[in-house]
Amino acid sequence: MADLFANYEHGKFYDEMFAAPGQARPHYQRLQERFGLMANMAELMDRQRTADQTFIDRGVTFTVYSDNAGTEKIFPFDLLPRIIPAHEWAHLERGLIQRMQALNLFLADIYGPQRILSEGIMPREMVETSKNFRKELVGCKIARDLYVHINGSDMIRDEAGLYSVLEDNLRTPSGVSYVLENRQVMKRVFPNLLRDYRVRPVENYTNDLLNLLVHLAPEHVPEPTVVLLTPGVFNSAYFEHSFLARQMGIEIVEGGDLVVENDRVYMRRTDGLAPVHVIYRRIDDDFLDPTVFRKDSLLGVPGLFEAYRKGNVALCNPIGTGVADDKAVYYYVPKMIKFYLGEDPILPNIETFLSGNETELSYILANLPKLVVKSVNEAGGYGMLVGPHSTRAQIEEFRAKIIAHPRNFIAQPTIGLSRCPSVCEGGTIEGRHIDFRPYILNGETIKIMPGGLTRVALRKGSLVVNSSQGGGSKDTWVLSDDQANPPAPAPEKIIV
Amino acid sequence: MLSRVANLVYWMARYLERAENTARIVDVNAQLVLDLQSRQAADDPKSWEPLVYVTGDEDKFFELYGEDVTERAVIEFMLFDKRNPSSLISCIAYARENARCIRDQLSGDVWETLNTFYLKLKSDDFARYAQLGSAEYLNRVKTQIQLLFGVADSMIPRTDLWWFFQLGRHLERADNTSRILDVKYYMLLPDANAVGSALDMVQWASVLRSCSAFEAFRRSRRGQLNLERVVDYLLRDAVFPRSILFSIAEAEQALGQITAAGNHLDDNPPARLLGELRTELEQIAVPTVIADGLHEFLDDVQMKISDIHAAIQATFVDYPTSGARVLA
Repeated sequence: MADLFANYEHGKFYDEMFAAPGQARPHYQRLQERFGLMANMAELMDRQRTADQTFIDRGVTFTVYSDNAGTEKIFPFDLLPRIIPAHEWAHLERGLIQRMQALNLFLADIYGPQRILSEGIMPREMVETSKNFRKELVGCKIARDLYVHINGSDMIRDEAGLYSVLEDNLRTPSGVSYVLENRQVMKRVFPNLLRDYRVRPVENYTNDLLNLLVHLAPEHVPEPTVVLLTPGVFNSAYFEHSFLARQMGIEIVEGGDLVVENDRVYMRRTDGLAPVHVIYRRIDDDFLDPTVFRKDSLLGVPGLFEAYRKGNVALCNPIGTGVADDKAVYYYVPKMIKFYLGEDPILPNIETFLSGNETELSYILANLPKLVVKSVNEAGGYGMLVGPHSTRAQIEEFRAKIIAHPRNFIAQPTIGLSRCPSVCEGGTIEGRHIDFRPYILNGETIKIMPGGLTRVALRKGSLVVNSSQGGGSKDTWVLSDDQANPPAPAPEKIIV
Repeated sequence: MLSRVANLVYWMARYLERAENTARIVDVNAQLVLDLQSRQAADDPKSWEPLVYVTGDEDKFFELYGEDVTERAVIEFMLFDKRNPSSLISCIAYARENARCIRDQLSGDVWETLNTFYLKLKSDDFARYAQLGSAEYLNRVKTQIQLLFGVADSMIPRTDLWWFFQLGRHLERADNTSRILDVKYYMLLPDANAVGSALDMVQWASVLRSCSAFEAFRRSRRGQLNLERVVDYLLRDAVFPRSILFSIAEAEQALGQITAAGNHLDDNPPARLLGELRTELEQIAVPTVIADGLHEFLDDVQMKISDIHAAIQATFVDYPTSGARVLA
């Protein structure tokens, strides 16, 4: 029997599959056995090609759009799943629910009585200087008192296997369509393995999302109309927008399709104006309404803000959630959990230093070559300094920026992300760094899809999982039961 | 359906139909030129001039190519020049843009067929056209576009999406057939006595062929080819799919499907205008039309089609928001 993992290099990072060289963790043993049944690597590569072709056939592509080609690319998919045992998931779920509760209470508070500021838990200027704080909404009543509906927190595991939250995404977290499609493909490629593992299904997500959206509608409307608002076909996430709209059976609209009359929102149809009650918007606050936010926005709907403020239309996510994923505000999330819930955080943050804080600033400036510095309002790896991988000139450039605008930066130690065996170009299996984005829905109850987006840095040694920089994804298997399948895990003190 | 989506599919169909007819118009002229008896006449730059006028884009042409109307210039202008918004390549590029925006509502097959065709067409040029020969090249183009219509026909559900597609397609076809008829008007005969001559008949036969109407005409009329009969056939034959009357009737039916659901649209301007044009075509006396000037009559038909288009836009797409009907 060929062992496809025979030459696997364990490395100094936390390995998701192997506790020690050659010794698979209990929840990976079945996978290792099953892969042992494959004749050789060529068979595995065949399955990889089958998977890739399935993505193309199903149209799960993002378009690198230019006149010359109009080519469709697939988001690279790695066949080897990331497996999360039930007890680990239970822990993650508790932590994510707690975090969602605290973030919702925080947003309700700062757009309401602002107790957290008046009681000095968090400095007032921290909120008021955040560019995603919408002071226009202070005191405004929000549908069902839900101040945030969808969060896609980015999570990582460090060298010891400890899960922590790297950042929250409370604006328009993307990627969920890949989770759903990855599972469809795995069902074709590894049907038996999936069944034997008793992997929890992720397919309910769009149903849960639709229920959430309907729940947000103004209460007097018996059959509310829900639409998805997209920036348009040229947006890189358009596939996801159209995928979700189709799955939920709702209309996908652009800004120009919506009009506001008498503070009510309608979509322009060939037979007249059809009322719209809930908008799942995949457009940032800034672009929603040119009469209130960015004047140059062509994507938005003039008058939408007023219709929203009057409660005639619900937005998902609500306006102003971005203040809670400001990276300096992130620093305070553990304090929020304590303040609002009286609990200790179940999932920790990454150790974070605020350059806005005098003592931490001097630490940051003294240790720049070791730290990762992030701009507080940027996402997607922009405005970032990775100390260990930067030149002296780059470091000095950031030093100047930090000193000039301390509020705009935070710093974190460089974390060695956990690794998971992945099928690499040239037909080998090697460890690659991964992260994780679960999707948390906050409606009538808080629901977390049992699974999520595991992104993998397919380039050797890379810690960057973004698709623009050689990142791909893996299916994430959350097991329904550790007892029945596989045998109860040996206690591992390093995990959670 | 959303006004934006309706407009996209309506224009997509118009562009596709226009692309096909552009190929047909070039084809009829190429045939007419071949039919000119003397070699010298075939080389006469005047023989390609009608195309420049018949599409109504003469200003653009003279701006881009100057006063010298050669075959090569006309072919490049009408088929391959992206600067001409009505050229074959422009029409196919616009149709593809629109299809891309509503790809998930059309069907993967429609998009793929169109995209493949566009990518192939994009690398074509006059050299390729000359190498294959006019008839063969244009035939391939027509076949590709008809393939697209075939795929659309078998794939698009019969919702409003389809009916707006049909509306755009048939309105465009009515307009284009009038322009094909008009080519003959510009095609000069050696002298006034030549009306009714063998050459004149050959030219009318070419006009029919360019609409793929020659054999159908023969079967239905069983008689002599003459000016009156050909005009009558292309203008108002009740069963030939490319006649103007037939196309207008098809457009009227498509509109009827669109408005059938909502009784508030029973009396709507585009339906009224379509009905008026259909009645007019049914009732005209072709000899009178010819006596009064066929070219002027065709001009008038084109104006009316343009009014119908404006009424469609105003009723379904660009209607003013304030005072618009609010649905329950």
